Amino acid sequence: MFNGYVITIAVFVGIWVSLALSLNILVGYAGQISLGHAAFFGIGAYTSAVMTVRYGQSFWAGLLAAILITGIVGAILGLPSLRVRHDFLVLATMGVNFVVVAVFKYVDFFGGAMGIVNLPAPSLFGVSFRGGALYMALVWLYAGFVLLISWYLSKTWAGLALNTVRIDEDAAAAVGVSVPRFKIYAFAISAALAGGAGSFYAHFIGSVFPDTFAFVESIAILSMVIIGGVGTLRGPIFGAILLKSAPEFLRFAQDYRFTIYGALLVLMMLFQPSGLLGDDSWLWTLGKRIFRRPAASMQAEEAS
Amino acid sequence: MPFLQNLSNALVLASTYVLMAAGLTMVYGVLKVLHIAHAAVYTIGAFIGLLVFSWLGNFWLALLVAMIGSGIVGVIIYRTTYYYMLDAPRIVPLITSIGLFVMLTDLLQKGFLMGPYQRAFPAGGAGMPRIRTSFISITPKQMLVLVVTIVLMTLVYLLLTRTRIGLGWQAASMDRDMAAAVGVNLNRVVALNFFLGSALAGAGGVLVGVYNNSVFATMGDLVSYKAFIIIVLGGMGSLPGVIVASVLLAIVENFMVAWVGYVLPRDAIAFLVLILMLMFRPHGLLGKE
Amino acid sequence: MTELRVEHVSKRFGGLQALQDVSLQTEGEILGLIGPNGAGKTTLFNIISGFLPPTSGTITYDGRALHKQHPHQIVRLGIARTFQIIKPFGDLSVLENVLSGIGMPVYPSARALFQRYRTSATLKQAHAILAQTDLQDWAQAPAANLPIGLQRRLEIARALATRPHLLLLDEPAAGLTTHEAEDLALLIRSLHAQGIDIIVIEHNMSFAMNLCERIVVLAQGQIIANDTPAVIQQDERVINAYLGQEEADVAHS
Ligand SMILES: Nc1ncnc2c1ncn2[C@@H]1O[C@H](COP(=O)(O)OP(=O)(O)OP(=O)(O)O)[C@@H](O)[C@H]1O
Ligand SMILES: [Mg+2]
Repeated sequence: MFNGYVITIAVFVGIWVSLALSLNILVGYAGQISLGHAAFFGIGAYTSAVMTVRYGQSFWAGLLAAILITGIVGAILGLPSLRVRHDFLVLATMGVNFVVVAVFKYVDFFGGAMGIVNLPAPSLFGVSFRGGALYMALVWLYAGFVLLISWYLSKTWAGLALNTVRIDEDAAAAVGVSVPRFKIYAFAISAALAGGAGSFYAHFIGSVFPDTFAFVESIAILSMVIIGGVGTLRGPIFGAILLKSAPEFLRFAQDYRFTIYGALLVLMMLFQPSGLLGDDSWLWTLGKRIFRRPAASMQAEEAS
Repeated sequence: MPFLQNLSNALVLASTYVLMAAGLTMVYGVLKVLHIAHAAVYTIGAFIGLLVFSWLGNFWLALLVAMIGSGIVGVIIYRTTYYYMLDAPRIVPLITSIGLFVMLTDLLQKGFLMGPYQRAFPAGGAGMPRIRTSFISITPKQMLVLVVTIVLMTLVYLLLTRTRIGLGWQAASMDRDMAAAVGVNLNRVVALNFFLGSALAGAGGVLVGVYNNSVFATMGDLVSYKAFIIIVLGGMGSLPGVIVASVLLAIVENFMVAWVGYVLPRDAIAFLVLILMLMFRPHGLLGKE
Repeated sequence: MTELRVEHVSKRFGGLQALQDVSLQTEGEILGLIGPNGAGKTTLFNIISGFLPPTSGTITYDGRALHKQHPHQIVRLGIARTFQIIKPFGDLSVLENVLSGIGMPVYPSARALFQRYRTSATLKQAHAILAQTDLQDWAQAPAANLPIGLQRRLEIARALATRPHLLLLDEPAAGLTTHEAEDLALLIRSLHAQGIDIIVIEHNMSFAMNLCERIVVLAQGQIIANDTPAVIQQDERVINAYLGQEEADVAHS
């Protein structure tokens, strides 16, 4: 039913949906703009690679370690956000990305520019997942998990607290929200989920190289979040599907990938800063009008 | 005397940083926008300079056209994007600048513009003298970079302190609304700001292109990251701060490479310094609260 | 009785002495804090609520030192505040603004990551506060869409949601119509009747005189009077401080 090419695309889209959703927790929920998300992606991939190739652990142990370790590193690398805001945080996270990639590249333990190769494929009860529809299902299961966490988080006190931090840090503190604590939560959760995506990526490709996780990838992930609609759940999912799959189908979009990302970012900021599917975007409003009935019943539900 | 030699090398490096960072800091001063796309303007300047030079063979004409060209590119960027975002939340111009940067750098690498390869810029020292004494030697190329930078920065300084529009610029960088209230034509001031800043970056691109005898599409990236470090060190929006910080960074880099071995590459260290700076001296080395 | 003690607090901003050896304490009343523009009133609130450190001096509440604590810790001790320049959570609904205050006890614990914030219990509390502040009709509206007078009321509602024992109100009546100000005075009195101590900064003299049982007058960072409204009204130094202010205002316009 699925040929290899379609599966490959579907796996990539699933991984980038997870990445965009995880970055959305940081940017959309907590309001911390980060240009270093690829670093967390990379830390997850490398953790999993080291665990499986260097220490002979299973994929599952690698995945778990990737999530945990990236979460911890995320909490630490979130420290600059306690001191600096806005433009400066962008610079700091960009710097973090460069430093992390440099560490992968220049520290022998991580294989240097040659990376780490021969990562095992996951298997469960003797069934291998390599390259097949099963792996795709696994990746999408993970994307669903990230979506579930994002959704649930928005319903918790922490979700409300992150909203207050994003809107006004002083007012947040005045209602008892410890701004540093919740920023670090956001960094840790966002990083941990990106780390898991890194593990899935690494074991799908079977190898990791430093440059995959360079600064431009951070820009790509941020573009997906912003172009789709920052702060919503549908936005980053849509953005990731759109930006990750279009280059696979359109040759032009492949060659001009970053020109398109950049132009879209600028156009969005000029005409639709809340994103294609943001709450007040024309596309979303139009959709709501066409599907008026479901929308109306949703509002009724909200009111009850 | 390796010390003096290192120092003169550092000053040459610092000059290129100054030209790049001056524009960034000027834009930040007035618009409070981190103009990340400035890196692309620098590269465009180098590219225009190279085109004119290979066509006419005259370095000074190439420099002039490159400055005017990149100045115009800067103004166009401003009028088509940031101009509409003066009152938007800060995230809006910030993301715009990221988008512009990605778009322009990617476009420049395409075959119909610069392509993905390096090109030579064989302008030599443009007739500058060589200085060689027993303890220091300055090549014509180094002379060229130093002299052009000093002349340009002096001109900008005079323009900003001695002319009406320059005073308007100073007022606007202190308080935009207040300046508008006392009758400063903000639009002209900001446009001039972009023109000057971008022209300086363009000049920087040409000089570095000549100095390294190489021009390529991503040549602006590294310098612009350094320029971010410099404008933070220099205390965001301050021109003298930029000059001091450029010299400082260049000296530190030069001496670190000359005397100390390193584990991480130079640029990663520069970024570590940036992160620490942002955390512990967010108002710059010279700045205060 | 829980009391706030401010002892010898001074605050310097560079060359500007914003507060100079300020001492005062609450005695369970509605305390007015008045003074001309730039007297240091808001600065004093900022110091009490932990947004600024004092240059010197101590502040205790219920015997506990406040001046080394962060704002979010001070709310937990039972001191809530509003802002002179209001800071509503504009994209959140009025209801969610109030809920954000109700979450105060949960935020420090890991439960914050797992517990949902809309439960029947929290919604009930929130609606009670909305009813008390007469905002119930606006519950679902984004806070930014409220008229300015109601946004000021929302500031108070949000602070109330943290269940304070002491409420610091920074010019709650600014920009209100006379009618709205009267409603506000009623609200403040009813809060006080529930046992909440109140310090209120106010520019409008008659509003302060009617509402407060005691008034502290700040001028140029120093307390120049601390007495009942009747006495304050007669105090020459207060009259001079305000006259100077009015002359300055006239000269401005
Ligand atoms: N964070 C700050 N940094 C520097 N100066 C400040 C700061 N906060 C207040 N000031 C200065 O301290 C002085 C007192 O200010 P404050 O806001 O406390 O006055 P106020 O009594 O609340 O006045 P108003 O009635 O206008 O609200 C003013 O001169 C003000 O400019
Ligand atoms: Mg005040």
